[in-house]
This record gives sequence, C-alpha cells and structure tokens, in this order.
Amino acid sequence: MNAAGAGTLAIVIAIIAVITLLVRPRGTSTVDFYLAGQRVGVATNALAICGDYFSAASFLGVAAAVYVSGLDGVWYAVGFAAGFVPVLLFVAAPLRRFGEFSIPDFLGRRLGSERVRLVAVAVVQLVILSYLVPQAVGSGMTWQLLVGRGLPGISAYATGVVVSTAVIAVLVAFGGMRGTTWTQAVQFLVLLAALVWLAGAVLAGGFGYAGAVSHLSSEPLANPVHDSAGWHLQPEENRLEPGADATFGEPGAAYGPLAQFALILTLVMGTAGLPHVMNRYFTSPTGTAARMTTVWVIGLAGLFYALAVMLGTASRDVIARAAPDRPWLQELTVDGVLRVPEHALPVLGRIYGGDQGLAVIAAGALVAVMSTIAGLLLAAAASWGHDVYERHINPGATQKQAVWAGRASTAVVAVAAAVLALVLRPENLSSTVPSIVAAMVTWAFAVAGSALTPVFILAIWWRGTTAAGAVAGMATGGLSTVAMFVVGALPVGPGLDDMLVTPTLVAAPLATAVCVLVSRRTAPPPDVEQQWLTLHGTAGDRQAERLARLTIANTAGPRRRGGRRAGG
Amino acid sequence: MDPDDVDEHDTPAEVDAAFRTLRRVAITHFLLFLAVVTGVPALSLTLGWWSDARIEGGLSPGFAMAAFGLYAFFLVVGLAAATLSNAVESRMLGGDHPGADGADRHEDQQ
Amino acid sequence: MRAGSGVLAGALVATWALVYLVTQVIVSPPLAVGTTVVAGTVVSVLLVVGYPSALRGPRAATGLRRGARESARAEAGHGGTRSGRAGAGLPVRRSMPLRSGLTADAARRTAELLLPLLGGDAVAITDRETVLAFVGAGDDHHRAGATVASTLAGRVIAKGRTVVGGTPRALACADPGCRLRSAVVVPLTVGTRVVGTVGVFRAGTGPVPRDQVEDMAAILSLHVELAELDRERKLAADARLDALRAQINPHFLFNVLNTIASKSRTDPDEARQLLLRLSDFFRYAVRQEGQVAEFAQEYFFVRTYLSLEQARFGDRLRVRYDIDPQVLTAHVPVLMIQPLVENAVKHGLADKVEGGTVTLRARVDPLTRTTSIRVTDDGVGIPADVLERLTNGSPAAGEPGDDWPSGDGGPGRSGRSGVGLRNISLRLATLFGERFALDIQSSPGGGTVVDIRMPLR
Repeated sequence: MNAAGAGTLAIVIAIIAVITLLVRPRGTSTVDFYLAGQRVGVATNALAICGDYFSAASFLGVAAAVYVSGLDGVWYAVGFAAGFVPVLLFVAAPLRRFGEFSIPDFLGRRLGSERVRLVAVAVVQLVILSYLVPQAVGSGMTWQLLVGRGLPGISAYATGVVVSTAVIAVLVAFGGMRGTTWTQAVQFLVLLAALVWLAGAVLAGGFGYAGAVSHLSSEPLANPVHDSAGWHLQPEENRLEPGADATFGEPGAAYGPLAQFALILTLVMGTAGLPHVMNRYFTSPTGTAARMTTVWVIGLAGLFYALAVMLGTASRDVIARAAPDRPWLQELTVDGVLRVPEHALPVLGRIYGGDQGLAVIAAGALVAVMSTIAGLLLAAAASWGHDVYERHINPGATQKQAVWAGRASTAVVAVAAAVLALVLRPENLSSTVPSIVAAMVTWAFAVAGSALTPVFILAIWWRGTTAAGAVAGMATGGLSTVAMFVVGALPVGPGLDDMLVTPTLVAAPLATAVCVLVSRRTAPPPDVEQQWLTLHGTAGDRQAERLARLTIANTAGPRRRGGRRAGG
Repeated sequence: MDPDDVDEHDTPAEVDAAFRTLRRVAITHFLLFLAVVTGVPALSLTLGWWSDARIEGGLSPGFAMAAFGLYAFFLVVGLAAATLSNAVESRMLGGDHPGADGADRHEDQQ
Repeated sequence: MRAGSGVLAGALVATWALVYLVTQVIVSPPLAVGTTVVAGTVVSVLLVVGYPSALRGPRAATGLRRGARESARAEAGHGGTRSGRAGAGLPVRRSMPLRSGLTADAARRTAELLLPLLGGDAVAITDRETVLAFVGAGDDHHRAGATVASTLAGRVIAKGRTVVGGTPRALACADPGCRLRSAVVVPLTVGTRVVGTVGVFRAGTGPVPRDQVEDMAAILSLHVELAELDRERKLAADARLDALRAQINPHFLFNVLNTIASKSRTDPDEARQLLLRLSDFFRYAVRQEGQVAEFAQEYFFVRTYLSLEQARFGDRLRVRYDIDPQVLTAHVPVLMIQPLVENAVKHGLADKVEGGTVTLRARVDPLTRTTSIRVTDDGVGIPADVLERLTNGSPAAGEPGDDWPSGDGGPGRSGRSGVGLRNISLRLATLFGERFALDIQSSPGGGTVVDIRMPLR
C-alpha cells in the first residue's frame, strides 16, 4: 500500500473519530428518545444494533463465502439476516420490559437463582470468546493485505491480530470506547457507506448481476488449493450429487443436504443469544420501541446482506477478468481466483478505486471489527465485573475496584482471543469451509443458539421454567455443542462433519427437552405471576410514554406539540 | 380525578390474556418464517426447476430468492408481526386513556 | 361481510395471477403445470387462513381512539341541571341517590353513604345556591338549606376547581365551637358546568386526601349526568337502553364501593385503580352508540367489569381469556358479552364456596368467516327446567338460580338472566337474521357454556 492509500485510510478513520466526537448525541434517556422523535430514536437504536452485529464476518466473511461457494455461501447471508426474526417474535419486547441489563442478569432475576446467573455468565463468555476470535482473524487478514508486512520477528497476520486486539482492548478498558448508541450507529453508517460505494462503483463499471451468475454457473466451480504441486485450481465436488461438479449458482459446493438446513437454523437461532446484541435492547425506552427497532434492523440487515451477496458474486466475476492485467493481483490469485477469499472486497475496492478504494474498504472492515470487538469486550467486562466480581468475589467492592475488575477481564478476554486467533490461523484449518471468518462466527452462533436461546425463550414464554431446568438446559446445550465440534473436527465422513460444526439442529432441541423435563420436576419461582406482569404487561411502557409526553409538553411548549402531532 | 396521577396498572388476568394472544401471533409468524426459510433450500434439493429455470436476465428462482427475495420476506414478516403485536397490546392492555394514541404512532412507522 | 368477501376473492385472483406470472411468464422454462397448481393452492390456503390478519387484521388503532378522561367527561354531559326525577321504578335509583338528580333528599342520603367511605368527619353536598345536605360533625350549626355564597363551597363554584382548606379561618365558620379544622371541597360538573359541590371536612389536622374526594366527585358527577340523560332519552326507550340500565345495578355498585372503602385504608393505590376502573365501566355503558362495536371495546368493558368483581371476590373468582388476535377488530353487538359474563359470575360462581373460573373464548374462523364467542363457567350450573325455559324463550320468573346469593335484600332480579339471554337473542336476530347460533349447555354442578356464533363483520 502506498502513501496515498495510507493517507486515505488515516483520513477516513480521522473523519469517523471527529464525527463520533463532535456530532455528540443528546443523552440517551427516555425523554431524549422521545424528544428526538419516536422514529429517529428507533432508527438510531437500530443502527447501533447493526453496528454491534455486523462484524468482519458480515463485511468480509459473507462476500468471501459467496465468492468461494456461490449459493451455499449465500446461506450465511440468509442466516445472519434471518436471525432477527425470532428475536423480534420472541425476545425483543419482553426482554426490554423486564428491564435487566444483560442476559445473565435477566435469567438470574427471572429464575431467582445465582447459579443460573453464573452458568449463564460462563456460556456468555464462551460465546463472546468464539465471536472475538474470528474478528481478530479478520483484522489479521486485512492487515496482511493492507500493510503486507509485520513487526520485526512476527508475520503480517500475527501483527494485525495483536495490534488490532491490543488497541481496541486498551481503548475499551480506559473508556475511550463506551459503545454508546451514537458511536455504534456512526460506525455502522460508515460500514454501509463503504458497501454502497463499492456496489455503486461495480454497477457503474458495467457489472450485470444476472449475467454474471449465469456466466459463472456455466462452468464448474474451482478454487485454489496448495499441495505438493504448489498452488493450483481444483474443482469443488458437488456434495448434493456425488460425482457431479458444483457450480456457482446451484447449491452443493460446500454443504451436503442436511448441512444446508443445519447452517441456516444455527444462524437463525444464534442471534437471540448473542450477548452484545441483546444488551443493546435495553437502550430502547419501551418494549414496543424495541420491537419496532428490530423491524428496522431486519430491513437494514436485508439491504446489507443483499449488497454483500451481490459484491461476492461481482468479485468472482470481476477479479477473474481483471487479474491478467494487474501484476499486484496476480500475486494474490491463482488463475484469476483469490487464494484468501476474505480479500475479495478489498481487492474489488482496489480494482475500482485504486489505493483509495482499498483504503475505504479496509476502513470499513476495521470499523466492522472495531465496533463488534468493542461491543463484545464491553459485554464481557460487564458480565465479569457486574455478575461475577461484584456479586460473588467481592460483594463489598468499591466503584473503583469494580472498574478495575472490568478492565482486567477486558484484558484477559482480549489476550485469550488473540492467542486463539494466532493458534487457529487460517492456514492451519482445512479449507473445507467457504470462508474461515464466516465459519468461525458460526461457532459462536452455535453455542449461543444451542445453550442460551432455548433457555432464554422458555424463560420468557413458559411459566414453568425453573432454575434447575435452566442450568440443565444451558449445560446440555453448551456441552453437546462443544462435543459435536470436537467430533466434527475428527474425520467422521463427508456430509456428517459439516453438520457437526453447525450443531444447533441437534443441540437446541436437546437443550429444550432437558430444560423442560428438569423444570417439570422442580418448582418454579414463587413470584412468577408478578414477573409475568413486568415481562408481558405494558403498564411500564405506558407509564414511560406518558411521563415522556408530559415532560415534553411541559418543557418544549406548544410548538413542539404541534410538530409532534403533524408528524404523526 | 386526574388519571395522570395514577400509576398504570394491569391485572394478572389481562396480562395473561395478552400473553396468550401474543404467543399465538409469534408462533404463527414463526412457523410461516420457518417454512419459507427452510423451504428455499428444500426446493433447491427437490425441484429441479427451482435451480435450472432462468428468470429473465439469467438468475434462477432459487438464487434470486436467496439473493434478495428472502430479505424482503423477512422484513414483511417482521413488520406484520410487530404491528400486529403492537395493535394487540394496545387493545388488550390499558384502556380508556391517552395511551390509545400510542398505537397510532407505532402504526405509521411501517 | 360482502365487501370483505369481495376483497378476499380479489386477493385470490391476484395471487393466482402472480403465481402464473412468476412460474410461467417471466421464467423459462415454465414450471410444470401440476407443480404450479400445487404451489398456487398452498399460497391460496395460506392467504385464506391468514386473511383476517393479513388484510384486515387489527392494524389501525382508530377504532379504539378515546380521548383523555377529562375530555370524555366534557363530551358526555349536556342538558339541564337539577333534573329532580328519574324514570320511575328503575332499580338504579336505589343504588346511588344522586341518580335521581341533585335533590335535598338524594343529597342527604348520598352524604350519609359517603361519610364512612371517605374517612372525613363531615360531608356536605351543595348545589349552586344552597347547602343540600350536611352530615356528620358540626351538623348542629351547619344546616341544610343555608346559602353557599360566603363559604368555601361558594369559592369552589366560582372557580370551578377543587379548594383545600387547612385552617378554621379558611372554612369561614362563624361558630367558635366548630370542631371542623380542614376541608376538601370539589365541584360536581356536568360537561363543563359546575352544578354543585361535595365537601369533606375533618376535625383533625390535615384534610382527607384530595384525590380520593375528587375520584368520588367524578362518579357522583356521572350519576347526575345519568339522571339528565334519563330524562332526555326517556322517549328513546329501546332495548339498548334497558340493557344499559341493567348494567348499573345497585348490588354491584354497593359491593364495589364497599370493596373500595375497605381497600382505601389497606391499599390506597389499589383503591384508586378500582375507582378508575369503576368510572371506566360507567362511562362505557353511557357512551355506547349504535348497535355494534369493535370486539376490543367490548373486551375492554368485560375486563373492566371482571377486574372489579375480582377485587371483590378475591381468589374465589378466577378469569381466563382466550382471544384470537383477529377477533379484536371484528364487530359484535354492543353490550352483549358483559351480561353473559355477569351471569356466569352471579349465577354460576357466587354460590359456589370454593369459587371457580370464568373463561371467555373468542375466535374467528377464517374459512366460514364466523366470529364465535364462548363464555364458560365451572359453577353451579342451571337446573334442567330453568334451562328449558331459557332456551324456549318464555319468561323465566322466579327461577331458583336467580336470586342474589348474598341475600342483602336486593330487589327482585327474577328473570334477569332470562331477559339477558332473550335480549341478546333478539338483537342477534335483528342484526343477522337466521345467520347466527346461540347455544346454552348446562348441568347442575357441571357449569354452564354459552356459545354464540355470528358472521364475521
């Protein structure tokens, strides 16, 4: 990368920082939310949730998965986008109305048990860690492409992992990145802008979506492999019809029949158990607003992933044609196909925008990584500091001690993620998965969807859920998921191994069944009716809305009222 | 009497009623959602036409569905479920007070 | 409804056109005919089943739009002031004396009723000119018939809002021996007009809670309004008004007021909630116009009623609602469900020592386009001969299950349940002709099921 590119990257990041600092939000109280107008408030919250949710896996990983396996990679986009539908249907409004800050808090108070809280913390930490690793991997890969060299003694990839994780961990720990609604929203807008710019450039460059898909589907899908003969292209085997070639536009390039469903369901179920996303719901002023926020998130996610899928397709088409004329691209490709699929979007950016284009996409990727890592580390710090340290290790902790406990846990979690990212470096993993970043994120979704989501939904919708049942359910879901991962890493035969790395299809029903069976044998908490009133009643919502209305009427005067009425 | 002085209040029976109705809304929408989400890969496994036919321009119905159709469907299902749930809540809980126009505001967010 | 069916038919045609377009026209090669038909059928079935929510589901909240309590109160009232009389022989008259207007006699009895309820030492009720009644401490020198001009009540009438007097001077009592130290005086209003005041006095320091007096004044105001409405609508007597009057029966009101009185000491918040619900209950009955209402509104009336009954019966009355989301916007005959529920409570459960459960189940059947409403109780049931009379529609005077169980000397409520059911049946017939069904199943000891099916509107 030359000076111009580096300069652009620096400028983009500086602009983000300035916007974040200067266009300071009003506060985030309920009244402010209403002052901003319901719709603005809901939209801002939705953007912030997107900022937490869209990570390197979405930005680089989805395009990479489509790039490598065509339609089978599109299932990642479908699954990531679909995940918010169950959240909307089952979780958003009751979770907000119950009014606890995190998933362990929620389960702990709902079931009246500290044991549930601690087990939930353990699962949440597992989810956070498995989500952090692919983010670190993603930033390592971006560094590799962008800078190309590492600090003395370590590789470019390792440098990227270490530098990005360390910088963000320090920022988070010392309060430079509070993950406020506004910061996350701006970061998502940057991400979306990068994607929209690239899509516009690609379309303006004469890319025809439908034509490209049919053209790509007309020949077998082949991807680079590295073996004794060096780099060469090897056609993908069709896992749906053994013996046939897989093509871009048809399923089968990456997943067998069962694994197709397993992947989608894993992603669909996982979102409701992602701690950093669920924590964000508590910034909505009411349950109803939380619900409408989710609708916006679904819309934004749809737009984002539709663009990502298109760009994945475009990179397969465009890079193959562009490679022969560009020496820098030939280093990265084998016969016009990228060796590292995660490079698809940055390379596309460089083809259309030169070094500045590359810098814009790289900035997008870094922002995606940063906002997600920040969200995850904050969630981790909150659950260690609040749920474990303040309640169990040192109940009499001062504010200062609690803050330091949070910082220490941030550091520990960040170091663990970086180490795992270095150990699990992409080359060490089999190239059976379409995109290593997207696949690794799937593990986090699998743990969340198998261990947390079933218990979470039961606790919200079934009065009979008990603490013992929840503990048993979470333990079953978590352990069976990890066990299936381990078995899946062994050579157990084609078709089955894909399914084992996306275990929600089996683990979630198992966890649900165990939770229900154990709950039936134990007594639910005595105050369940009272909890039902806060979970499913709207009295609190109505009270909040009324107070906000009164406050606004009293402070803003007739002009504001007229405006509100005209606005609907 | 000034109703603004009185805290909002729901009785357990009313909350239970709204809960049941909302549960029904959530489950029906979830079943629809699940049918479509698993239906797309299922069709590509079972129906040759789904992957082989070409919509004008060149995409197969299956690819078009996965590339844009499903996201639009998610939005429609989400919007339908959210507005229906909000309307149910505003009708089944609370009552004769200005809160009723709360439903109108959520209404025009769609 | 025909228009609804038209929309459905149109939607089906559009669906098939879309299926044809998607599978046959813009795609090559077209989908095989058999598969297309299967796909079209699946989509059509989904459309028909989901139709009530997809096309006419409860989206817009316009049907439920009700103003603030204040404006509602302002809208409801009109007409003259001291109407002096109510319809002769109305049982309602015995419930709340002011129901017959602001007369001295009614005011005195009302004041006697209010004195223990509000926790003051004296209660006064005035009209715009004179004190109609003064009951309690100090009634030796505060007498009915005195002019209000120079008193606290006079100021309240002039200002039109509540006045709280905390000192003997503020009470402007000329008698040095007067024990009354503080007062809360609240206007009685009809619409925006002040027609009188109600004042509560205490001998100790600190007046009684202002809110409580205001709540009570709101209800008294409604009763004065009702008295006016009675006179105005005397000529417009129809079945709806009869049903309406039957809602406000004396026992219910007295029982609720007693409950509120006892709760006002132990749980003032709940007492206020109950007062709010009570005025919701009255306002609904008063303000219903027309023959049909949205189910959600009727449901509001029913749950308001049942929450009042639950406050009284406590754990003995359990309530369970089972309501389809689609039914909320369906239209049902106005004031129809509550009498059914009331029957279930009064005749089914009140006699049962261990209490029981009332279930209201409301469904929409999208295929037959029918609304079905079922009220079930697991109470004492109706004896076979009474059931026979009820279903045959003959007047069922003096039926055994009909007497008010607490035996507190209510007026004869003979045939009440019979009249309720006959009334409902008649109204259903007027609205739907032959296209409705009203079934009652009951066995002594086995509870009662009343099931109504009518076209979806």
